[in-house]
Amino acid sequence: MASQQADRGRVSGLRRAVDGSAAEWFGLAVRLGLALVWGWAGLAKVADPAEAAQAVRAYEILPESLVKPVGWGLPFLELALALLLLLGLGTRIVAIVSGVLLLVFIAGISSAWARGISIDCGCFGGGGTVDESQTKYLQEILRDSGFLLLAAWLVYRPRTKLSLDAWLAA
Amino acid sequence: MSEKNREGKRNARDKMKEARAAEEAKARRNRKLAVGGVVAVVIAAAVVVGVVVQNQRSKPETPTAAPAGTIGDKNLVIPVGAANAPSTLTVYEDPRCPACGSFERTFSPTVDQLEDAGKVYVNYHIVSFIDRSLGGSGSKYGANALGCAQDAGHFRDYHDVLYRNQPEETEDSFGTKQTLIDLAKQVPGLDTPEFQSCVNSNKFGGWVSAVQQDFDKSSYKSTPTVLLNGEAIYPKKGDEQISPENLVKWVDAANQGKQLGTPGSNGQSPAPSSTAAESNTPPSP
Repeated sequence: MASQQADRGRVSGLRRAVDGSAAEWFGLAVRLGLALVWGWAGLAKVADPAEAAQAVRAYEILPESLVKPVGWGLPFLELALALLLLLGLGTRIVAIVSGVLLLVFIAGISSAWARGISIDCGCFGGGGTVDESQTKYLQEILRDSGFLLLAAWLVYRPRTKLSLDAWLAA
Repeated sequence: MSEKNREGKRNARDKMKEARAAEEAKARRNRKLAVGGVVAVVIAAAVVVGVVVQNQRSKPETPTAAPAGTIGDKNLVIPVGAANAPSTLTVYEDPRCPACGSFERTFSPTVDQLEDAGKVYVNYHIVSFIDRSLGGSGSKYGANALGCAQDAGHFRDYHDVLYRNQPEETEDSFGTKQTLIDLAKQVPGLDTPEFQSCVNSNKFGGWVSAVQQDFDKSSYKSTPTVLLNGEAIYPKKGDEQISPENLVKWVDAANQGKQLGTPGSNGQSPAPSSTAAESNTPPSP
């Protein structure tokens, strides 16, 4: 009995740390951070549709018929995620979508790396074939993994301060 | 009896609590569904609108303005030399690419001589993808300026001048239009108000982007890509390393027994540029 209570005490201490108001402020920072990432990534790719399409084409994964729709639609998907994260609406779903998208990106970069083709990931604009000495696959993967951690946290604890979710639940 | 009564009361209270909990859970579920629906709609709408908008924006893949004298499908290629020369040399170059600079510094006198002798018809694809990885606009503005020079009939000389004054790859001096105009002063007759306004207004910007898109869709990944009658010869043709001597040798071998072309037949730049050569002139101040 006593030990059980101690356990519960420890658990609730942990709970407080992950569920408490401090955690919700932390969640807000994570949410806005991820919103910034998506917003930046999306805006950088919106200006030049041909370049965005080429960034996709350079991966040599998708057939030509899908290259343009993906190159054109992806920046807007990223902007939509940014907007939803900024508002804090459907945080968990948006975080799941973000995570899946990041996994797809990491898979794409890894595949390019493994096949020995030399491209810029085009993550934040640009993209396309680059000189072999200019590939930055490891950095790109590590960076996306960092973003993936942000998304993972929001899947785990989607409740954040100053969010539409919280406002709707109240 | 009293036992039963108490139990009954508790049951009723429990039931009410359960019902309320169930109702709350249902409301929560509905709210979640609604939020999920809104999220899905926002994402789908953004993507659909995005694809439509970008499709609209990139509609004219055929450039509205191409430099005079350009050839090929959509006029993306700048030709130099005799159109009826027996061999064709196809060159893909980016104004900012250092390997193109070193290729040009070594080979431009030889290529110019081969053109003037009616031995090769050179087809230039001026691509502009270095800006993507390094940022800046030197590739695009440089390519546009080359288009302007072609329009004015001075492509070959300006092309040679540009590569001899190429900055470091990471240094984007071609991104400054004035630099491109200043370099035109080295080509007699090129530095006109028309040329300046062509450079300053980025007149052939759409054409430059179409040339790049064409390169993007090709199987070539790097610059310079140099093809002699369709066969890659840079940096090697088969096992043989390219050199000015080998280039001449290869061209002569390909031309064996064929009628040479009539140079100048396609209205290329008037200045004889066997002089526009090797000297590694330092960039003008």
